[in-house]
Amino acid sequence: MRKSRWIGVGLTVSALVLSGCSAGPAGTNVAQDTKAPLELWTRTTPGGPGEQATKRLAEAFEKATGFKVQVTAIFDDFETKLAQRAAQRDLPDIVMNDVTQLGTLKSQGLVREVEPGKIKHTSELTEQALKSNQTADGKLYGLPYSAQASALLIRKDWREKLGKSVPQSWAELADLAKAFTTGDPDGNGKADTAGLNATLSTKRGYASWYFSNFLWAAGGDFISETGGGKYKPAMSTPESVAAVQWFRDLGCKDNVIQPGSVTMPTPATNETFEAGKAGMYVVGPYLLPRFDKSLGKDKYEVVPMPKGAKNADVLAEGLSIYMMAGSPNQAGQDAFGDFAISVDGQKIGMEGESAFIVQLPVNKNVDITQVRSDPRWKTYAEIYTKSGHYAPSIPNWTPVRQDTADTISALVADCKLDLKAELSKLDTKLTATLQQQGISAS
Amino acid sequence: MTVDHAKPAAVGADRPAVKRAPAPKARRRSDRDGKWWTPWLFLAPALILFVYFKFIPMITAVTMSFQDVQPYLGNQWVGGQNYSTVLGDEAFHSAIWHTIVIAVGQTAGSMIIGLALALLMEGQSKRLKFLRSAAFLPVVVPIAVVAELWRIMYHPTEDGMLNSILGLVGLGPSGFINDPDSSMISVIITGIWRGAPYDMMIFLAGLAGIDRGLYEAATVDGASRWRKILHVTLPGLRSVFSILFVLAAIRGLRVFTEVFLLTNGGPNGSTEVAMTLIYKLGLEQNRLGVGAAGAVLLFLATLVLTLFVQVLRRRRDA
Repeated sequence: MRKSRWIGVGLTVSALVLSGCSAGPAGTNVAQDTKAPLELWTRTTPGGPGEQATKRLAEAFEKATGFKVQVTAIFDDFETKLAQRAAQRDLPDIVMNDVTQLGTLKSQGLVREVEPGKIKHTSELTEQALKSNQTADGKLYGLPYSAQASALLIRKDWREKLGKSVPQSWAELADLAKAFTTGDPDGNGKADTAGLNATLSTKRGYASWYFSNFLWAAGGDFISETGGGKYKPAMSTPESVAAVQWFRDLGCKDNVIQPGSVTMPTPATNETFEAGKAGMYVVGPYLLPRFDKSLGKDKYEVVPMPKGAKNADVLAEGLSIYMMAGSPNQAGQDAFGDFAISVDGQKIGMEGESAFIVQLPVNKNVDITQVRSDPRWKTYAEIYTKSGHYAPSIPNWTPVRQDTADTISALVADCKLDLKAELSKLDTKLTATLQQQGISAS
Repeated sequence: MTVDHAKPAAVGADRPAVKRAPAPKARRRSDRDGKWWTPWLFLAPALILFVYFKFIPMITAVTMSFQDVQPYLGNQWVGGQNYSTVLGDEAFHSAIWHTIVIAVGQTAGSMIIGLALALLMEGQSKRLKFLRSAAFLPVVVPIAVVAELWRIMYHPTEDGMLNSILGLVGLGPSGFINDPDSSMISVIITGIWRGAPYDMMIFLAGLAGIDRGLYEAATVDGASRWRKILHVTLPGLRSVFSILFVLAAIRGLRVFTEVFLLTNGGPNGSTEVAMTLIYKLGLEQNRLGVGAAGAVLLFLATLVLTLFVQVLRRRRDA
């Protein structure tokens, strides 16, 4: 008797577990419930300032509209975790992540189209930010929330000690990098400093990310549009080859790129700059609070990248708000998006000295100089408007970024490699990727 | 069984006379042997977890490997296309080759060093206990910490930790993980550093099982220390070797974390292994079907290897 009762319990438990796990949510047309709390995922360090700021935004939104929001901060393997939730057909309602994810999310059907008619503040968005969230057909699949571009960070104390001026051309940039490497700018009597700090790991395609600051300014490109939403690879054009050659020489000939760069993801690279091992770093504004604290505000300066062969284009990026598919509360999604891009929403995101999630505002009616007195922000804002260059929105940018990162990293790591051969090999790979995505011109 | 066998005659003889005899016998039997489902009941919690977190995902992965996976747009069957994509991919070929190199390198290195450590640290002394624990430390340190540690040790300039040691013996600074020529061996060394103590522990257990008498006999016969190892220790460890070989080879084929954290497959793809490539294809590029095909192929390779070793063992034992 006793035993059979236990069996019964065992069977019931297993039946419960089985049915509980297999009962997934239904299709994409979910019954709507404006009371359903919104699950929001943001790609930032859990417990860090980014999470605080997102929570602040969510609270203000709750107060203003009455919708409920639960904020979850995830940093490591964000896209992986999202893919897992997608496979279970149970996505969070709102995701805040890089704008470059747009193509992937759209082509996988993970985001729903944003209807500008339902979000009245769309009309206040800057054209540049709005465009970065549109696909080739002009449809909006995300809402920009924050924008940023790269600037050149220079160790001011080092530069002044060596009696050099702020570089105005790429030649002067290379010259300053050489001086930082050989001139013992930290005065410790050892040759332990590098000129340029660079993230050249292939992880998440970082090398490609970093190199885009040099490629576009030289007139090169990863892939170029041939019209009608079709693309062809462009890494072996003379401009791209020249850009890669110039950048590679910094590492291979001049030895001014910090050692170990080819396996360094961003955290290790940031530490190199903080530790006073490298004198220049091309990077977005989100690191300023960190470097102010670790290095000291007076030790480094923020200047625009000098002009390359073509212009001074640098990588522009942004944080987007994605309205995920299958949400039971689309009205809540729309309301959140609308609130976040409004003047109030933007200002809340910009509050504080370190806990902010809006780098540069995307709303035309927000004047950065009035919200932040620090003139370095104005520098960044100007760079973004004048020279900000977004990666194109194609169905899946990730393979392009990974393939280019692999080659850039390899060329710096192995100075014996034939540059032109590697770049044309890369173009072959890119062609295959473009074909696979159905946007190849050939 | 033993009780029944002890007095079979008694039971048979008592039956007609004493009616209650069969009852206690039946109860005794069920207490001892139980119903057929009793073991399954005990296994149920683990099995349910395994079904959900192992077997169903494995079956799903096999299904996915034949599909173009788009959860919200509907998966589409593409037949063997994912497999031909993976198998036709040059990156996959070199990843397989690198995986084999790492598996062989780490397996051999860990076993040799593990055995050497075990031979050195065999014994009862208190000091040895401390040493053994110290040597075992790399196994319990999280691999993420191990990778970060080695990244610092592998710093490619003259003031890097390992390079300053190399400098003492007059060797130039090595790029270690940053140079495609030395990246593979650097990753293997990290793996050996972590794997050897684990092998050492199993060897120590195996050494404890070797008959002391054999050593004494060998000593009486005037065998040298080396001959004793060769003719007593090694044959005595045969089963330990085959277990370790399977464990290490599977560990080697599935190598991921240290490569991912140290080099992410770079520089120039010189350390790209099957798992890092599958991760890139499936989870970073969102081509889950292609990634799943790669994973299934890796699973088959592991299965074949394990079966092969089993067959080899059985044949030798027979």
